[in-house]
Amino acid sequence: MTLTKKMQTGLPRRTVLAGMAAAGATAMMPQRIRAQEQVTIRWWSPQSSPEQMAAYETQIRNFEALHENVKVVFEKTSDEGYAPQLAAAFASGDVPNVVTHLPSFAVSNYWRNGLLEPFNDVIEMIGPDKFYDGVNRIYEIDEGQYAGTSIGNSAANVIWLRKDLMEQAGIDKNPRTWDELLSAVGKMQGNGIYGAPLPYGRNSMTSLIFIGVIHQAGGQVFTPDLQVAIDSQETRDALEFYRAMREFCPPGATNYSWGDSLTAFVSGACATGIYTGRVLINVNNQNPGIADSVTCDLYPTKSADIEPWTFNDFPSVFIPKAAPNMDVTKQFAAFLFDPEGYIQQLHAAPGHVLPVLRTIGSDPAYQNNEIIQKYSDEVEKMSSAAANGFNLGWESTAHQPNTRAGEVVNSGVIAELVQRVVLNDENVDQVLGETTARIEEIMAG
Amino acid sequence: MTAIATDPPMLERRYARLGVVLIAPTILVFSLVIVYPLLAAIYLSLFSIYTPTLQGEFVGLDNYAKLLTQKAFWSSLGTTLIWTVGTLSLQILAGVGLALLLHQNIWFRSLARSLVLFPYFLSTVVAVLVWRWLFNDLYGALNHGLMQLGVIDMPLDWLGSMPNAMIGVILVGAWKYFPFVVIAVLARLQTIPEHLYEAARIDGAGPVSRFFDVTLPQLRSVLTVIILLRAIWDFKEFDLLYLLTGGGPVTSTQTLSLLVYQEAFGLNRMGQAAAYSVGMMLVMLVFMILYIRRTGRES
Repeated sequence: MTLTKKMQTGLPRRTVLAGMAAAGATAMMPQRIRAQEQVTIRWWSPQSSPEQMAAYETQIRNFEALHENVKVVFEKTSDEGYAPQLAAAFASGDVPNVVTHLPSFAVSNYWRNGLLEPFNDVIEMIGPDKFYDGVNRIYEIDEGQYAGTSIGNSAANVIWLRKDLMEQAGIDKNPRTWDELLSAVGKMQGNGIYGAPLPYGRNSMTSLIFIGVIHQAGGQVFTPDLQVAIDSQETRDALEFYRAMREFCPPGATNYSWGDSLTAFVSGACATGIYTGRVLINVNNQNPGIADSVTCDLYPTKSADIEPWTFNDFPSVFIPKAAPNMDVTKQFAAFLFDPEGYIQQLHAAPGHVLPVLRTIGSDPAYQNNEIIQKYSDEVEKMSSAAANGFNLGWESTAHQPNTRAGEVVNSGVIAELVQRVVLNDENVDQVLGETTARIEEIMAG
Repeated sequence: MTAIATDPPMLERRYARLGVVLIAPTILVFSLVIVYPLLAAIYLSLFSIYTPTLQGEFVGLDNYAKLLTQKAFWSSLGTTLIWTVGTLSLQILAGVGLALLLHQNIWFRSLARSLVLFPYFLSTVVAVLVWRWLFNDLYGALNHGLMQLGVIDMPLDWLGSMPNAMIGVILVGAWKYFPFVVIAVLARLQTIPEHLYEAARIDGAGPVSRFFDVTLPQLRSVLTVIILLRAIWDFKEFDLLYLLTGGGPVTSTQTLSLLVYQEAFGLNRMGQAAAYSVGMMLVMLVFMILYIRRTGRES
């Protein structure tokens, strides 16, 4: 009634009809055309501490400001849970657009099965010259094709030390060899403090740390052409060292994973630790009383003539091939390296995830951080070690990329090797034989 | 009226058609959520399949041959039975005991009846986090309390060594699920005729005799159903065990559910995982047949 009256007095009938026609045409417009107006980008990562989440929000906000039709949604996954979540996503086709911070060996497996979009365009957008040398080589599984790139470096198995406890125990230098380490933790253990929080649980941490110990004995899990080489004297030495360290670890270390091991050192319950640079921010926030006494070094080796071997999981960024809105997705993946957001992300846990762009490493804005300045020697040491680091997907510069490494780690076969020999005292020859057979079976698919 | 009286088969056919129409939605939903996954699992178990792509090749009964010849399945089946029998026994003992207590005229009975349900309603993830904290060797309340009481000198490794790990998961499982037994038994206790107890008292029966001669026979039917249901649920328990021990140490607490998960997502072998699932289902079928026969007999 009112409308009719208004039409009579205000709007001409032709205008109203034209408006109705336009509205009708809009309603009949194909869904796809209208959908182009609003794009949603889904971003998955297992790294989601409150500080990191704040950094992600900055990155998302800045990207959305540049792309008004884009909405970015962050979704958490976890180190132990990403495999089933991604498996379900890939199987259903309902994949996230961008996935970050998974270890490189997980990425290579997905790449080998044709599930990932080549990352070359994104690397070009970021600028290949900006990366530190060699950062991308682990992702070049097929020549000239990159499965992803590193969003950071990590030095996951550096040894953390308490200078105050070392001084009290009369230890004047950081342990370089296993014998020195065993002696040091023996001296520092006591008065409710344990020597070390090495993991003995049936989990990925035990597998990954023990792979490092095998290398610190001078051994390897695979030969460069990926034949299983774990049944060696070096592995037996590594197991003996791990067994010797058991008496200096808390009783519950038999079930320790990353979080437990980190907390054991940060809380002051253990004189040494084994973790990434996340220790720095956690000590300063949660146990500032020991913050001035904390330092780190490369993990000791069996003898001084064996070079340290640093585990770098090369936290990744990659794009599933089935991701929708590929152009915007690639732009967003490249935008993750935009200095403002990237530096905030690195500052969320200084020293934990280290920059992979030389332009960021030398950026005063990155250096302008209380933790990085206070522990500049430690951060430098970790950066250098991580840059020369390896993991099971790429054990040395001579090794081929191992696209089955993720399955070997996820199978728990190496953690079980540790548990059976060290905790259950089973026959080492038999266990190593069975472990070799199981890894060969996994490699055979 | 006349037509109905003279043509009863037509009416029956109409009723039959109506019955089919009425039951069709149930059958449809049942087929979608039970029959389809079941057939899909059996179908997948005949292939070697890479989980993320669900692509693979037909291998016939190879996965079942592996199931039968490799020790992983049998070892996990043994672990599953130990876990099921252990936790179920404790659930029944604790559940019946507490139900008897809450059936008495005690102070704050209503409050106690509400509080006893708390573990059952608590999310498994939250419950496990709390228990992991209690079991923690460095700052766990359990070790701290036992050391304060002088029971132990050094913290115990509750979840990382055997048999502590199995005892630990059995205890937590019993704590989490015994309220279900309490609810069911308490409901049954309230329906036992009081005159049976009066007659027993007149005959000189004491509390123990009254329990074994009156209460327990009256509870037998409900206990049978509870045991069968809980046995099925405990047999396929996953989250509590996965979060507490991850199946360790080594594979000491790796039940069949964890083995299936490991094969499907750790090793990306969906076909082998499906074969394990089918094997697991066949074992559970025994429980289900018992349950169906029992409930069928009662109805």
